[in-house]
Amino acid sequence: MDIRSTLAAQAYQPQRLPQAAPAQEDGGAFTQAMTNFAETVAQGEMQARAAMTTGADPHALVTALAQTELAVQTAVTVRDRVVEAYQELLRMPV
Amino acid sequence: MTDFSNALSVAASGMSAQAQRLTHVAENMANTDTPGYRRKITTFELDRGFDATQGTVRPGPVRLDQSVLAQIYDPRPPLADDTGHFDGSNVDLVVELADAREAQRSYEANLRIFDQIRQMSSSLNELLRR
Repeated sequence: MDIRSTLAAQAYQPQRLPQAAPAQEDGGAFTQAMTNFAETVAQGEMQARAAMTTGADPHALVTALAQTELAVQTAVTVRDRVVEAYQELLRMPV
Repeated sequence: MTDFSNALSVAASGMSAQAQRLTHVAENMANTDTPGYRRKITTFELDRGFDATQGTVRPGPVRLDQSVLAQIYDPRPPLADDTGHFDGSNVDLVVELADAREAQRSYEANLRIFDQIRQMSSSLNELLRR
């Protein structure tokens, strides 16, 4: 498991996504972003497991973990904004 | 995020290539006294495997230094010819030290870039959070 496999997984990801997430009428982009996020996290976990068990390339592990970190940060930030907007709606006087 | 993750991959490929180079330097240093050993030279090439837009680097095929081997005078080993000389290695420890230092500096540069990319994406997220 070296860096090239990480890169290959990334390069294949856009081609795999349309089958994984069929386009819906609304929320298609969001679904796709979520699928992308889940894939990134799963890949990070896979790399971590490979590094711990089979002694894979640590550079690939660091790359995968950094990308997972970025993805989680983005997801958490977006979630916070969505929840904030929802609460804003709840506070609206009717 | 793709720009950031591409940049992360490129920086990591640079670090990996420099680690490979350091492996060869270590091999050369370890084999300084091996008779007939030729020092290994690491080459670098652009990796355009599956995506031509990605400028990652990878270590190329290893070349062997073809300069003349040192002639060592010692009649005792069975390797020695009639004049009492045998072929040593063509490793120069000073050159290897310089190469190791260069690999270290290059690795550090890639590491800084890696860290900077992480900081940049974090500050982008920070902007979204406010």
